[in-house]
Amino acid sequence: MTKLFRAFGVPLSTVILMFSSIWILGLIAAPQLIMIEQSLWRMERPEGAAEISVQIDGLYNQLDVMALDRSTAEAGTDATKRAADLAALDAKEAAINAEIAALEESESTPVKVYTLANFGQMGAAHLAIFAKTIAASLAVSAIALVVCYPIAYAVAKLETPRTAAVIMLALVIPYAINELLRIFAWQMILNQNGPANLLLGLVGLDPVPFLESGTGVFVAMVYAYILFMVFPLYNVLETLDGNQVEAARDLGASTWNIHRRVVIPHARPGIAVGCIMTFMLSAGSYAVPYIMTRGTAAPWFTQLIYNRFFEATNWNVGAAYALSLLAVCTVFIFGMMRLLKVSLKDIAK
Amino acid sequence: MTDQSTGKAIEFDRASVRFGQFQAVQPTDLRIEPGEFFSILGPSGCGKTTLLRLLSGFLDPTAGDVRIGGQSMVGIDPSIRPTALIFQNLALFPLMPIWENVAFGLEMRGWSRARRRDRAYELLATVALSDHAEKMPAQLSGGQKQRVAIARALAVEPSVLLLDEPLSALDLKLRQHMRAELKQIQARTGITFVYITHDQGEALTMSDRVAVMNRGRIMQVGSPDDIYDRPANAFVATFVGETNALAGKLASTAEGLALMETPLGGFRAANPKGLRAGDEAILFLRPEKLRLLAPGEATENHIPARVLRRDMEGAWSTLVVEAGGQELKLHLAHDGREAPPSGEIALGFSATEAMILPKGEMSDD
Repeated sequence: MTKLFRAFGVPLSTVILMFSSIWILGLIAAPQLIMIEQSLWRMERPEGAAEISVQIDGLYNQLDVMALDRSTAEAGTDATKRAADLAALDAKEAAINAEIAALEESESTPVKVYTLANFGQMGAAHLAIFAKTIAASLAVSAIALVVCYPIAYAVAKLETPRTAAVIMLALVIPYAINELLRIFAWQMILNQNGPANLLLGLVGLDPVPFLESGTGVFVAMVYAYILFMVFPLYNVLETLDGNQVEAARDLGASTWNIHRRVVIPHARPGIAVGCIMTFMLSAGSYAVPYIMTRGTAAPWFTQLIYNRFFEATNWNVGAAYALSLLAVCTVFIFGMMRLLKVSLKDIAK
Repeated sequence: MTDQSTGKAIEFDRASVRFGQFQAVQPTDLRIEPGEFFSILGPSGCGKTTLLRLLSGFLDPTAGDVRIGGQSMVGIDPSIRPTALIFQNLALFPLMPIWENVAFGLEMRGWSRARRRDRAYELLATVALSDHAEKMPAQLSGGQKQRVAIARALAVEPSVLLLDEPLSALDLKLRQHMRAELKQIQARTGITFVYITHDQGEALTMSDRVAVMNRGRIMQVGSPDDIYDRPANAFVATFVGETNALAGKLASTAEGLALMETPLGGFRAANPKGLRAGDEAILFLRPEKLRLLAPGEATENHIPARVLRRDMEGAWSTLVVEAGGQELKLHLAHDGREAPPSGEIALGFSATEAMILPKGEMSDD
């Protein structure tokens, strides 16, 4: 802290500290804390509250029925009978209203209760979708890694800097288009009547239900998040000294061994960052599974979270679902770092 | 490693390299003897590294042939050539401990972990690094890394060791020490060493023979003494060692000597190339061959001059003088007692210690 003040002076340091605090509070702490808080409580009613509310509902029904009786009575031709009927109805109505008031008095408002119960709400079906989402996101990361590694290596090590810049630009340009539009494009490509199946038909193959089988989600996700794998890999491979590769080859290493012993160990931080980003984006993706499957294939876990919030309107369970996903993602990050022997310091680079 | 005749001969047979429009190496014939310490010396961009890459296998000649031990190497992958390369930046694997670096070639040859570990420790012992085997390259000093790189290259028992300016990153003392060590390893192993450098000191002190290159062409091949004392052309004369160059025209010749007219006057000097009267030529005169004349002393060649300044070099000092509008340098033995000369002086040199060579491209450094 004193170092900061010495380096930048008091006014600038204060501004820096202020922005850092806003960053930490507003972007990191606040959303998480609110979500955690939300997931830890639910509204509970005291005992007997259910019966009382049933009684109240019943009384309101009676009032509705009486409204019909009243209109019948008002239509009566005999003036004296009509006056008597209306008086009787008024009396009855007053009695019911009094009863309702009494019951509503005794009906206490729901109580906010802190509990872990929200986390136990996941049934077997939802748990299966949760597991499937994690497994599929892992698969997307793995596929993206396999696809991107050769590209990143070729661009970083084999091409001249100028060609490399052109290739990287070509990779980025499609990302200037909105993600939704790109996914819709893939939806059309993989459609039952789309170009992909048209090509298969030309080779004499039956059309494949890409979208309905869930394959489409994979394809679109690998496509949508590939950039987040390519760039970390490219950045780290670019820093690899070409002499190391030549030295390994000179000492008798095969291409496979050069990559296994020299290139991949060097690329570890990039692999870790790429896998973490792709995994988190896949696991947290809502639009891709929604657009690609349109409900024809099993949902993604994010869709369940959305449903909890906006269809079941149970924000507490929704928050618990969201938090579970966050927990798994966090475990995944540290797992990857452990697996690839990468420290936070390496990743920050 | 103990075998005294493991080195193999190298032959370049009209080998040339062209990158697009750029002729990196002109058609070259060169034979390097088995077990020889051979240096290729030249300014940067002269094609010496390209020549080395032809040997290591990262490049094939555009035309011609390269043979090692009589066998053509064209199209043979670097991984199976009988060569090992030491890089300018050493290219140690930073994520492997020292012993794994040394054992890398053996690992690639399928040696078991225990066996290659033993061998790596043995090799590290020969370069006095046994205590550092488990450290990482970043923990070692420059000289130690240098020795690891050598041990790593020797581990694969090459017939030819290729060294691409490996000492250039070291400081002067360490560089001198490593020169001796390299020479010693070469003598002990009998491996053919091909040493690329732009540092003439390295080339002259270590090599059995030196090739001087310029613009993709070998200008001269010879022993260090040949190169220094009997340069074949103007480039070698100016690139290796310091020299004074006087341009002029031959007036007459006689018995290996010639009289040459220069702006500073007529001088008699050796004429090894048999130039004839009327030829354009350059007279080369090493600073240590130029003498300060005592007053009234007579000599074959006499130059009146004026002292500009004196640069102290340690064991000697360089006197920079002006004569006939041209700067000349001469070395004075430094004894620390005599007052340095100043003002108008007379210089002289004997005819056999200066050399007349045909006019040609000179090194500009």
